[in-house]
Amino acid sequence: MVSTAEQTTATDVAPKKGRSLWADARRRFLRNKAAMLGLAILVFVALFAVFGGLLAQWSNEELDYNVMGQAAQLGGPSLENGHYFGTDDLGRDLFARTVQGTQISLAVGVIGALIACVVGTVYGATAGYLGGRIDSVMMRLVDIFMAVPYMFVLILLLVMYGRSITILFIGVGLISWMEMARIVRGQTLSLKGRDFVEAAQATGVSTPVIIARHIVPNLLGVIAVYATLLVPLMILTESFISFLGLGVQEPMTSLGALISEGAGTIAYGTTWQLGFPLLFFVLTLFGFFFVGDGLRDALDPKDR
Amino acid sequence: MRQTFKLAASALALSIAFQAHAATVPEGTALAEDQTYTFWLLDAIKSMDPQINTDVEGSDVLRNLFEGLYNEDGDGQLVPGVATDHKVSEDGLTYTFTLRDDAKWSNGEPVTAKDFVYAWRRLADPATASEYAWYMELMQVENAPEVIAGEMPPDRLGITAVDDHTLEVRITTPLPYFPQMLVHGSTFPVLQSVVEENGDDWTDAGTLVGNGAYTLTEHTLGERVVMEKNDTYWDSDNTVLTRIVALTINDVNQGLTRYLASELDRVDIPAGQYPRLKEEYPEQAVSTPYNCSYIYMMNVGEKGPEALKDVRVRKALSYAIDRDIVVDRILQGGQRAAYNWTHWAVAGFERPDIEYAGWSQEERLTKARELLEEAGYGPDNPLNLNLQYNTSDDHKKIAIAASQMLKGIGVNLTLDNYEWKVHTDRMQNQEFDLARYAWCGDYNEASTYLDLFTSYSGHNNGEFFNDEYDQVMRDSKTAEDPLPFYQEAELILADQMPIIPIYHYANVDMIAEDIRGLPQNNVNNTWYGKDMYRVAE
Amino acid sequence: MLTYTLKRLAVAIPTLLLLIVVSFLLMHAAPGGPFTAERELPPQVLANLNAKYGLDDPLWKQILTYVWNVVTGFDFGPSFIYKDRTVNEIIAQGFPVTLTYGLLSFAVAVVVGVSLGIAAAVRHNSALDYAAVGVSIGAQVLPNFVMAPILVLVFTLWLGWLPGGGWQGPEYWILPVVALSTSFMASIARITRSSMLEVLTQNHIRTARAKGLPEHRVILRHALKPALLPVISYLGPAFVGMITGSVVVDIYFSTGGIGKAFVDSALNRDYAVMMGVTILMGALTIFFNLVVDLAYAWIDPKIRY
Repeated sequence: MVSTAEQTTATDVAPKKGRSLWADARRRFLRNKAAMLGLAILVFVALFAVFGGLLAQWSNEELDYNVMGQAAQLGGPSLENGHYFGTDDLGRDLFARTVQGTQISLAVGVIGALIACVVGTVYGATAGYLGGRIDSVMMRLVDIFMAVPYMFVLILLLVMYGRSITILFIGVGLISWMEMARIVRGQTLSLKGRDFVEAAQATGVSTPVIIARHIVPNLLGVIAVYATLLVPLMILTESFISFLGLGVQEPMTSLGALISEGAGTIAYGTTWQLGFPLLFFVLTLFGFFFVGDGLRDALDPKDR
Repeated sequence: MRQTFKLAASALALSIAFQAHAATVPEGTALAEDQTYTFWLLDAIKSMDPQINTDVEGSDVLRNLFEGLYNEDGDGQLVPGVATDHKVSEDGLTYTFTLRDDAKWSNGEPVTAKDFVYAWRRLADPATASEYAWYMELMQVENAPEVIAGEMPPDRLGITAVDDHTLEVRITTPLPYFPQMLVHGSTFPVLQSVVEENGDDWTDAGTLVGNGAYTLTEHTLGERVVMEKNDTYWDSDNTVLTRIVALTINDVNQGLTRYLASELDRVDIPAGQYPRLKEEYPEQAVSTPYNCSYIYMMNVGEKGPEALKDVRVRKALSYAIDRDIVVDRILQGGQRAAYNWTHWAVAGFERPDIEYAGWSQEERLTKARELLEEAGYGPDNPLNLNLQYNTSDDHKKIAIAASQMLKGIGVNLTLDNYEWKVHTDRMQNQEFDLARYAWCGDYNEASTYLDLFTSYSGHNNGEFFNDEYDQVMRDSKTAEDPLPFYQEAELILADQMPIIPIYHYANVDMIAEDIRGLPQNNVNNTWYGKDMYRVAE
Repeated sequence: MLTYTLKRLAVAIPTLLLLIVVSFLLMHAAPGGPFTAERELPPQVLANLNAKYGLDDPLWKQILTYVWNVVTGFDFGPSFIYKDRTVNEIIAQGFPVTLTYGLLSFAVAVVVGVSLGIAAAVRHNSALDYAAVGVSIGAQVLPNFVMAPILVLVFTLWLGWLPGGGWQGPEYWILPVVALSTSFMASIARITRSSMLEVLTQNHIRTARAKGLPEHRVILRHALKPALLPVISYLGPAFVGMITGSVVVDIYFSTGGIGKAFVDSALNRDYAVMMGVTILMGALTIFFNLVVDLAYAWIDPKIRY
């Protein structure tokens, strides 16, 4: 046995037939209330991240000297002074910072998930398609990588080479590609024996082209489901890194960084500093979980 | 301090206001039944070996487990430790200490002059590889540089046991504040037989033999340290606290919560919380001056940015920082705005008249803009600099505020956060523009600050090399009254502005109401469990 | 099965070697060595420190020496920062702590999570179901570094029921275990619920019910085992997540565990402790994944090796 996940997910999500599957899936997805709610939430969060800045009265780094030093008394949410979400201890506008934090967190989540998907898909599809000895060597390697305590390695990288958003994106993405690779490999194995692949082989199409043209498109369903469920995990990972103080750098911020700041000072009467970022954090995660679950159910006819 | 100096210089037998100091419980005080004191540690204690320790927190523990030649009282004055008094030779270069004959190690052996000789040699010996070996150099002990460099055997170090209770130390330059330096943990004696028998394990709880008022009974790394009263200590009859516990709590806010839940008797107050706590708990929230200064060091050396080689730019940057905002709005714990380097509360130091300290912030900003323009920077040619700071919430907040303040005069400051080790490494390699830096005085005298910016100092990472400054500091060493020289040095710093002074530290603590005997007026905050007690509520 | 186990264990060795080499190189390439002090050390002192810790050897030799000491003597060397201690001592002190609250959290997460999941599935669409789903979704996305300070605030400061940190006895275990286990418990509850719902629609359950077996026997005898498969495959990631979570627990509850030791060692460039903890965690992960796979095989007879 190579993977545990492949036995469940792989058989679950295998696309059974051609186009009608997508239409069916769309219908099932649209009928799924939780998924639609999740989608609505995600749209809202995305709009907030993209256009929220237009509503902000303050920039994300300006210090409001009227509030600074008295955040607990004066820094609460207020329409009057334009701090809709209140301010942080330095008098910076929490609304603007939450907008920016949401942007960064979404970016980390999506880019991290993309990296994991691309690497995982290429690796898994190659291993699965080539099969045999190459496959078993490649999958053994995945086994080896799986045993590395990645969070530790990521911490090491960030500590040793300074905090860079690039390392963060790549590091977060690389933590998760192995699981993806296993799932994709499992799917590829089952696709390999199908007529259209054999037809392509018979007409002398080269291996990379077969993988790109015939294997990967048929994996899109699995990949979509997995990617959607991966995004919230990436966001959670980033929040942990931010908690350790190793995340994005000031004056930039992320939801994780805002939450960990707010959580630390929860006893000091500035609960909005935790509340608003946490709200958007939770909404974002809910959105992705619901949509991901919805996609899985939609693409997998036998499930409820 | 200056009185001490004069006595020393005139080579009189020195007897500093020597009252044996112990927990002096006033008549009629009802003592609490449980004499336990629990205090907060931010991090695990790295080492309990006096010659290896480098941390302030480690020193707090060491002062209870060991005792050096002298201790400090609540006002920072010297009081006898193992030494009862000392004599200084005519030339101020030879100190002869008389050690008390009733001092004992916790295993019952007597404490002798040999134990000090062993400890000091051990500190300097490169084989020990102590990161604090340079303290022997700082103390100007004869042959210390050669011993540390491995060019001479450790037994050539200028310290000799004349007999069991007479210790002689030879130094190379008269140092008026030499006795003050003996309070430092790295000069504490250790027992050779125990160290050699147990190797690196000699500091384990149960194995460690000390000569302090307490013995180590538990040390769970990162969790707690427990010390119990040591009955062999010479003054144990007057020791009231029976148990000292140090809890490691890595999060300062968490520490405060646990203090409020009565799990601790003393904790640091996080930035910004002092005013609120002072209002709610007026008896418990305390702020006292603390012997450290906070600055942004500028890299004026070869590898530094071109702009910072221009004194006008340096001054503009310094003027543009509103210190009052930093101390009154960010820290809010009784710290003081700094316009000079030496902490204001250092004994015998008076700040000279520094011009820009007296200006209003508007005046400073106007001046800053003018200077910057003169130097050729402005909206068309904005100045871009990096500010690096080591990880800490407070450093981060101050850096953010500074970057916004400098934005006001058209300087773009990019913030770089590094771990302490990387931060330090970059500073030592001159890989920085501006860097957050703080210095805590090793002793209560201005030279501990001012020596730092001599060209021959080991800490002058901004490479501010100024012959005049060096000369002033050299002259101060032999002067009858060093204060004018110190003031001159401060004026040079204000004129050349190689650093941006930000604030002078304060100890901002919550201290349980029934605890007595913590120093009230000691800028180094050297406290001793043996001086403390707990009253009945 | 035995061959499979041995094969898996054989993979562990190159994995650990890879881990050692990679972390070793990472650390040594980074700026700021373990002896970067505020005041630059005299060359002689630095040379002595380097000699004492073997840092003056060429890199390949350092790695070989290290591996040799680990393999032959299980000796991870002295700590660079905690100079009174060896890495073995530090691990010996911190690991039992981490293991204690880790195992407890794991047990709580599995037992409570599975029970909650089954209860919700059995009472599908009831108030209990909705409550369980709601709570578990909430708990799943609440980071433990938010939960920990709230727990201390409520149970230590306001209610005064439990100590806010330290590691002196069972009453000190409760808050760390709650903080660590909650989000995993929530995930397990969700997974159990949905897989149980799926299993309950299958034919063999219908048959069992048709035979007139009492519902609880249907659930426990026939539905539970297949329903647990997805839970078991979740345990691997959960384990890795718990290792990460231990860092938060150690920071907030001052347990003196190994998670904080790792973060500290990374920040302080304590190469030796870092390597020791990384290897330990790697070995545990490998071991645990193996256990999970075997448990999976035991429950799902379809899998053959």
